[in-house]
Formats: sequence, C-alpha cells, structure tokens
Amino acid sequence: MPSLEIDHERCTECRMCYIVCREIDINAVYVALEPLHRIEIDLQKCTYPGCTACLMYCPAEGSIVEVESGRSMVPPPPEAWQEA
Amino acid sequence: MPDLPGKALARELIEKSRSESRATPVEEVIQAICGDGLDDGAAHRLIGRLWTLERMFYYIYGGWGQGLEINDFPPSIKYLFSKQIVDESTHEMLYLDALLRKGFAATQKDAFRHPSGCFVMDSALAYYVFSLRNLATYPHPIRIAALNLGPKVLELAWMEGLTKAIADPDLKGVFESQFVENRSHINMGRRIVEEFVTKPVEAELCRWACAVAKRDYGRFLGELSAFVLGHEAPAPPAPRRQVTD
Repeated sequence: MPSLEIDHERCTECRMCYIVCREIDINAVYVALEPLHRIEIDLQKCTYPGCTACLMYCPAEGSIVEVESGRSMVPPPPEAWQEA
Repeated sequence: MPDLPGKALARELIEKSRSESRATPVEEVIQAICGDGLDDGAAHRLIGRLWTLERMFYYIYGGWGQGLEINDFPPSIKYLFSKQIVDESTHEMLYLDALLRKGFAATQKDAFRHPSGCFVMDSALAYYVFSLRNLATYPHPIRIAALNLGPKVLELAWMEGLTKAIADPDLKGVFESQFVENRSHINMGRRIVEEFVTKPVEAELCRWACAVAKRDYGRFLGELSAFVLGHEAPAPPAPRRQVTD
C-alpha cells in the first residue's frame, strides 16, 4: 500500500495538512517532538490513497512525497474536489 | 558599541522573574509527580488545561497584532512577533497531539468538549487571557516586556522542573521540545526592551505590566495545580444563550 511523507526541503511549514487532517479526524499529521518541531505523517494512521485531503490543501507543490516511489505528489486538479 | 537604552531594565525584569520562578503553584504538581508519578487522569487534566491556554493565544495575539501599524517598528520586531505566534501555535498543536496520542480524547472535537479542554469564562485561565488581551492598547515593547520577561520566565522554569519529574518519554518530549522556543521568546523580549524602551515612563509601564501579568499568571497556575491534583472540580461551562435573532 503506498504511503506519504513530507519533503522538508520543499515544505513551507504552513500546517494546512495538519489542520485538515485534524478536521477530518484521521490525525495522521503530527508535530515531531524535537526542537525544530517539523511536521511528520504517522504511517500507521494515514489512510492514503484512500484519503488525499492533505494533498488538496498543500500550497507547496511537491512537498508531500509517496514513500515507495519517491514521487513528489502534486495536488489533484481542482475539479477533483470542487463541487459541480 | 554603546549600551542599549533598556539594557538595565531588561536585566532587572528577567532577574526579578527568575527569583520568583521556582515558587509558583506548579511546584506542588512537580512534588506530587516526584512522589507518585503522573497518572492518566492528572496528565489529561494538565495537558488539557495547558492546551486551552495555548489556544487562547490566538485571541491574545490577534488583539496585539491589531495594535501594530506600518512603519511604527522595524520589520525585525514584527518578524519576531510573528515567529512567537507560530511557536505558540506549535505548542498548541503539541498539546493536542499528546491528548490524541495518549488516547485522552478520540478526536479534536472531543478534546474541545471535555472539561479539561473547554474554555470556561468564569475561571482564572480566562482572567489571565483577558489580562493579556487588555495589553493590546499598550505599545508593543511594553506588552512584550510584560509577557516575555514575566510569565514566560516563570513558565520556562516550571516546565524544566516538570520535565525532570515526568517519567513518560512521550509527555517529557512534549515539554522538553518547547525549551528552545521558550528561551528564544525570553531573548526576543530582552532585545525588544533593550532597544525600544527608552523613556523612564515606559520603563515604569514595563514594570507595572510585567507585575500584573505575573500576578494573573500565578492565579492561573494556582487553578491549574488544584485542577491537576484533583483539589477542585472544573466549573461547569456556562449555559449557551442566544444573543441574536
């Protein structure tokens, strides 16, 4: 099953992924317990590819990466989540 | 390089706060943890109440931010303030993560509703929050002196004591990882006071605001300790009242 991680080189630490993940009660995105307090994804809780909410809200293209392929994920096209 | 005008004042405020820093009501909690450890119920009450306070900093800093105008201070001062807002948000997230990770709350919504995590108007926490928010109408260096050279110094000291006492590595990490940012807030406050508090009247205002903030923070810490140690039940939330049509 593919999973996601944060590319800290690209991530702007805006925390939109954290906020959306909390809002939908998946709670996979968390703040690391180290002085830099970087955002990480808990692979045990993340339901990707079932959920792609963080990708939709992430404004920094390519900062969320598929672990297995190393492919930088780009946000889905707007029509994927905009209401008709 | 000549001495900055507020250097003596900054040192005075920090030293005074340091001298009071290990005499707060949290010492009772630290003693209790050293004796019997921290059970899940007490940990939930502690983290929940600290989370509630951190959430309220969005409200406090929102008010303070409205008091900043274009060209009133150099951009560096505004950068430091925005950094402090982000740090406070980080700490809020750390506490919420801990509540969820420890299983004290199943969802964010549950954490908001729980007596440990809900904001109660008639509380020492609210009193402290409104006290800080009230500083919105004062010049930025004065309110930064009040918070960063007052309650922040006390907070860093009790947090270091608490971290030493807590055995659970997860909870320890929640507090320990905040040290760098908390120290930097104190240093930011020192720098701002050193550079921008130049007149005797401003220095007096800093002393007054710092004392008031510490008094109200002490009241909050007293309520927190009693709550964590189970000495008093949390006040029930005020009934909701429809105030508009």
